[in-house]
Amino acid sequence: MTDLFAIRDLSVTYGAGAPAVERVSFTVGAREVVALLGANGAGKSSIMKALAGLVPASGELLFEGEPVSALSTRQRVARGIVYVPEGRAIVGSLTVRENLILGGYQVHAARRRERMAMVLELFPEIASKVERAAWRLSGGEQQMLAIGRGLMAGPKLLLLDEPSLGLAPLLVRRVFDRLAGIRADGDLAIILVEQNLQMTMRLADGIHFLRSGRIVGHRHRDDLRTGAARQEVIDAYLGAASHHAA
Amino acid sequence: MTQPSAVAVLLSDLFPLVWSGLITGCLYALGAMGLVMIFKCSKVVNFSHGNVAGLAAFLVYGLSSGVLLQLSWGMAVGVTLVAIVAVAVLTYALIAPLVFASDLTATIATLGIGLIAQGVTLLVFGADIVALDLPVPPFRATVLGLRITGYDLTVLAVALVTIGALFFVIDHTKLGIAFRAMSDNPFAAEVCGLSLKAVHIFAWTVAAVLGVVGALLIVPTTFLSVTTVAVFMLQAFAAAVVGGFTSLPGALIGGVLIGVLMNLFTYYVSPEYSSTFLLCIILVALNIFPNGVLAAAGGGSRV
Repeated sequence: MTDLFAIRDLSVTYGAGAPAVERVSFTVGAREVVALLGANGAGKSSIMKALAGLVPASGELLFEGEPVSALSTRQRVARGIVYVPEGRAIVGSLTVRENLILGGYQVHAARRRERMAMVLELFPEIASKVERAAWRLSGGEQQMLAIGRGLMAGPKLLLLDEPSLGLAPLLVRRVFDRLAGIRADGDLAIILVEQNLQMTMRLADGIHFLRSGRIVGHRHRDDLRTGAARQEVIDAYLGAASHHAA
Repeated sequence: MTQPSAVAVLLSDLFPLVWSGLITGCLYALGAMGLVMIFKCSKVVNFSHGNVAGLAAFLVYGLSSGVLLQLSWGMAVGVTLVAIVAVAVLTYALIAPLVFASDLTATIATLGIGLIAQGVTLLVFGADIVALDLPVPPFRATVLGLRITGYDLTVLAVALVTIGALFFVIDHTKLGIAFRAMSDNPFAAEVCGLSLKAVHIFAWTVAAVLGVVGALLIVPTTFLSVTTVAVFMLQAFAAAVVGGFTSLPGALIGGVLIGVLMNLFTYYVSPEYSSTFLLCIILVALNIFPNGVLAAAGGGSRV
């Protein structure tokens, strides 16, 4: 199987400091969910922003076999690489409907209407509030709007940055239920950055562990059942050696 | 008996003063809305707005009077609009690298562009005062003691149509959604795949057109010199400040308020201190309602 997205030697450096991401390489297959796990400051969000074309980065990015590293965010969205940022970044003063239109900005009008119907069916929580200003939605609804907005572009790869951030556990479960549903229905691959271990392990096919901007390990979904693997996950999560985690 | 009649005389002037203030206020509003559109989108206060609009008025004069060409008035306006839109795009192209680096640098750069526009005007048309009329229907009527002219009605109609069209585009079109998203959350707009530059250029060109419309309508009330339109834009600037600088409806209300207040002050107090009065309005507005009259009234606005 050819990879949907191949990331080779991706590095991100802000200013003159040490690189935030250093020579990170991994691949994402079609319909695969790849999670990036690491402590705060490990470089997860920098990787996501670099893949979305929002921060300058070096390295090679091949999407469906074609180089995309020189493309702007707009061009990447058109190709099907869509970023759902941490903190949701919905436009509060726009209505739910307008936020969704924004997500499908580059899509043909008829297709946009189809997708909007699909998204609203997927997220009934926001379907009843389409004319409401987005800032008036609850945190969970805003997250659903952010994911829905991402889906409006018709992505092949969704870059999902901390979808559980700031949400109550019940809502986290609901958001991940929806994500599992989207995954089962559609032809969509996901790169997931998430702090919630349980949810990550539920959704991801594989997990890359990050520390100080480097990938320090990888586990396949099936390997995560062993105690040692779980310990590795916890270490990566805490960004510390195992005896600190105990 | 003399005292009440003096009051009556003062008050009898009030209504016409408010009316004519309202008319000029609509024009200040056009100028102010251009400033606000650019500020909302690019976070730049465009100090070249007045001088570029002044250059436009001179272009219309030059193209229709025989100084440059002998076109009809409508043709001259058409050519000028194309030229000014080109100037707006060029201006944005010049300062775009600065917009993304520093709002303040970009704002200061607009001062330079304003000086260039003024220099070009002086170079091509000289420092003389010229007359530029507006082809308005020769209409005159008196309603409830108020004299209404064809000019008044033309200004009102043009302002209403222009502002109405602008609000329609911003409220009901995809481009309007992009503009509002840009001004509220540029990061989100970028993530959604919007071209930030395209939205900026939309704001700059619309602002330039609003400036030209405002300039062409204000000039017939006075005369046209190198500084006429720049001074007019100073009032538009005050209108934008009164409106909070980030609200288009605020700019509209600010324009009308400034128009009426300036008229009343000039008539009842002193025409000599009108600039001082304008600065006082700006100071009072910034101190009492820094977020604009609409926010102060508890309204706020989406655009």
